[in-house]
Amino acid sequence: MNFDLRSPTLHIIIALLAGLGLGLAYSWLISPVTYVDASPAILRTDFKDQYRTVIAASYASTHDLPRARARLQLLGDTDPVGELSAQAQRMLASGEPFESARPLAQLATDLQQGFASVANTNIPFAVATETPIPEIPFIEPSLITETFVFEEPTLSFEQTPLIPQPPITTSTPRPTSPSNPAAGSPFTLVGQDTVCDTSLKEGLLQVMLMDSRRRQVPGIKVIVTWNQGEDTFFTGLKPELGNGYADFLMKTDTVYSIRVVEGGSFVPNIAAPTCTDPNGASYMGGLLLTFQQP
Amino acid sequence: MSSNLIKIIITAVIGIAIGILYGWVIDPVEFTNLTPGLLREDYRADYVLMVAEAYHGEINADNAARRLAVLSSEAPSVVVTNTLDYAHVNGFTENEITQLQQLLTAMQTYQPQGGTAP
Repeated sequence: MNFDLRSPTLHIIIALLAGLGLGLAYSWLISPVTYVDASPAILRTDFKDQYRTVIAASYASTHDLPRARARLQLLGDTDPVGELSAQAQRMLASGEPFESARPLAQLATDLQQGFASVANTNIPFAVATETPIPEIPFIEPSLITETFVFEEPTLSFEQTPLIPQPPITTSTPRPTSPSNPAAGSPFTLVGQDTVCDTSLKEGLLQVMLMDSRRRQVPGIKVIVTWNQGEDTFFTGLKPELGNGYADFLMKTDTVYSIRVVEGGSFVPNIAAPTCTDPNGASYMGGLLLTFQQP
Repeated sequence: MSSNLIKIIITAVIGIAIGILYGWVIDPVEFTNLTPGLLREDYRADYVLMVAEAYHGEINADNAARRLAVLSSEAPSVVVTNTLDYAHVNGFTENEITQLQQLLTAMQTYQPQGGTAP
């Protein structure tokens, strides 16, 4: 196929292509569309983490689960619960205290179970409707209460299908951080089961902590020690596996001791068992330790 | 000027126009990895409200100031003041406005402690 370089048609095609190229270069490189009204979904990863942290911190104060869920949706995460858990674990791995990661873990847990695990304490501030100081020598008590009208703090519980709450008959206290659900009786080992499951990681030590009603308890610190070191982890950071769940990978020929910090339970001489698969081959199995408050 | 040259120039201009249309409208550059400073105003306001709600529970001005610092290089009190203006215009609840005012008061008296931001 021969082209006539002097053909006007060829010149026009070349001019069109050159124009297109110049136009694209200008619109993509020289003066691209400038975003000034961005959504949280296109924030940089570290800023998304910061956004998630603030959502969790806000939730820790308000316990408004629908609002927290809506705010998390703005980030466009396909698995908001997984992202919260992963961020909490990253924070712990980087040496931040558990108190910093706790709001994230708590929000992940509550999203997983579908209701706020603590009372909704979005308490309105006390509002003085009028503040005149009456210049009279004596004020009837009834007049005092009419002068300053404080909105009675309201305390409402979101869905609590499993945990009946005692009726509130006295004035509502100021909102505080959720108390440690494990405070009280010590956890004791109630089950130590060998887990021979080839679908699990070899040497997986699974720990499950439950309260006296067999409800799983998140946020409990567990320390694993062995002759060469020590590791710390917390329950509830993998809410998809249970609020009271935590795990650790054991190495072969190593003996571990497990200590539940809250309550002081201590379990020595833990080692990965040997299992046999259907073909007769041996492999390192796992353990499931179940702790419960009496 | 020959008619051919005029045709070429017109064609090139049309090509440039099509290129710009494509690059700005049909397939614009998609930005990711943006900073919070570019958030839309309502998202910024909600972020500041979250900081206020968290502050209401934590009463930790350091945390609040660090969280506000990612939004803007302006002083935290200015950021909160702007959000309060937005809140008044856009029907925030009385409780939300009170929490923002509480945060504003804290930021107006806040003195940085020199710690590092998380």
